[in-house]
Amino acid sequence: MARQVTQDAVALASCAEERRFPRQGLWVGMLTIALSLAIVVSLGVGAVGVPARKLALALLGRESLTADQRIIVLSLRLPRILAAALVGSALSVSGLLFQGLFRNPLADPYVIGSSGGAVLGASVGVFLLSSVTVAGFGATALLGFVGAVCSILLVYALARVHGRTPVVTLLLAGFAVSTMLSYSSYFLEVLDRDFGTGLRVLASWLHGTIGQPTWGQLTIVTMMFALGLAASVPLARRLNTLSLGEEYATHLGIHVQQTRIAIIVIGSMLTAAAVALGGLISFVGLVVPHMMRMILGADHTRLLPATALAGAVFLLLADTVARTIIAPAELSVGVLTAFIGGPFFLYLLRKTKQETLL
Amino acid sequence: MTPLLEFDQTSFCYGDRLILDEITGVVPNGACVALIGPNGIGKTTLLRLAAGTLSPGSGEVRLLGQPLDRLKQSAIARSIALVPQNVDVPFAFTVEQIIEQGRTPFLRMFGGLQAADRAAIEEAMDLTDTRSLRGRIFNQLSGGERQRVKIALGLAQRPQLLLLDEPTQHLDIGRQLEMADLIRSLSARGIAILASMHDLTLIEGTFSSVWLLSPEDDLRQGAPEEILQPELLERAFRCPPQHRSVLEERIRGRRERVL
Repeated sequence: MARQVTQDAVALASCAEERRFPRQGLWVGMLTIALSLAIVVSLGVGAVGVPARKLALALLGRESLTADQRIIVLSLRLPRILAAALVGSALSVSGLLFQGLFRNPLADPYVIGSSGGAVLGASVGVFLLSSVTVAGFGATALLGFVGAVCSILLVYALARVHGRTPVVTLLLAGFAVSTMLSYSSYFLEVLDRDFGTGLRVLASWLHGTIGQPTWGQLTIVTMMFALGLAASVPLARRLNTLSLGEEYATHLGIHVQQTRIAIIVIGSMLTAAAVALGGLISFVGLVVPHMMRMILGADHTRLLPATALAGAVFLLLADTVARTIIAPAELSVGVLTAFIGGPFFLYLLRKTKQETLL
Repeated sequence: MTPLLEFDQTSFCYGDRLILDEITGVVPNGACVALIGPNGIGKTTLLRLAAGTLSPGSGEVRLLGQPLDRLKQSAIARSIALVPQNVDVPFAFTVEQIIEQGRTPFLRMFGGLQAADRAAIEEAMDLTDTRSLRGRIFNQLSGGERQRVKIALGLAQRPQLLLLDEPTQHLDIGRQLEMADLIRSLSARGIAILASMHDLTLIEGTFSSVWLLSPEDDLRQGAPEEILQPELLERAFRCPPQHRSVLEERIRGRRERVL
């Protein structure tokens, strides 16, 4: 009798454990459609509503918009929508990369201080070096990148214990570093020679607001994003191997140090791209990769395209809600993601405690 | 004929602590060697040296006559597979995704798995009887299943030499016997094996030779019945003399069952 029970329990357990993950192509297709729909819907909503149907027909050239509608949709809403999609995608992909690097599902560009570093770097650019450009890139974007790289190197060095990155040290190191960095940005206010402009920019960064980007800014960020995404592709397979641990990955012929440096550089570039447009937007890099992992499994080569698309959809929808929910006023999308992501983060933290991830 | 793997006066230190002192030994093609010795003597270190993940302080380790130091790690991993004691994986990878990692040394910079890689993975799953586990989450497997999957990962490398670090550790007696069966069947297919073993009773009948690392002596190599002698083991493992009978009982009991 007892034996029968155990056998049943074993059979039941093995049924529950068997996982068949859906096809990746299906999800990539669905997310692409979702992104297109989200863009069209988001173009239509706001203080001046344009019905989605009319907008879709106009996009296909079957119907024409009025001059006002044209300005609102194309000059005001479209750049912001593209910015939201880019920021969401860049944050999600860099979250995925950092989680693989730290071997820890709680690593998010915001949580581990990489966003804070990017804000500080970018603030230096805005307050002190606003007129400097290098090879077409504003000092702001470059310094944001440098700030992100430095802060993640610092957190990484602080959080590693015997080749592992325990949750506790990662969170504490990330918390301490990102707090210091964010407040250092405030310190720069004192040095503001421009009275006002830099201050407003900094405030919107610290709130996590996707403002009204210029086409020039969008072009630079798109280039950074495209470069980062393309460079992530060969890294995805290496992230799988790194999951086995440093020594095993080395044995299998992975150049672990080079790969880590590549992840830090590329993840920081994506973070800096996101921060340049949206500032400190929390938890997107945590929520999106985790949702995709629940659906598609842990394989990074499968996760990468789906995470990039899902991040774009997620933040675009969040930003659309943020700019319409209390119209005519606007909410910072960072506030919204904090409300969504915060509880999610706590849930993950509890779950991580139970599983043997510490 | 050049031996498959050769330690030539290989020494290794962690900091200023000497772990292995001028080890000399040969693993011929197709051999099945058990590596025994007391805790902390350097069994794992020796396996790491054999896998090329550690470099000797002095002396050489050679694969088919070539010093490992001069080979690329991916080239070594195409001939030698190391199955470590513990593998902890942070995410919910499936068994199949874990085993796929064994093809890493064969992949190009931007390439994915090819038909030959798939074939090697399927064969590794057949040899270790892990085909039925392929969709399961690696972290949720039992100890014995995990061990088999780790060996499948190693076999996916299509190695000539398989290095096993304590393959029977933490396994119940049934799983230990299954592991011994697996080692025998892999050896019968011509894969050379060098395995560190804690449980001396599983050695005879499975391994063709034994390497004994002991604190005072040099590495001692021989057939199981030569090495598994109470006097030798007592000295190597520093067993208190009053327990001599226990030691003899263990070895003799095993021998009688084999005969």
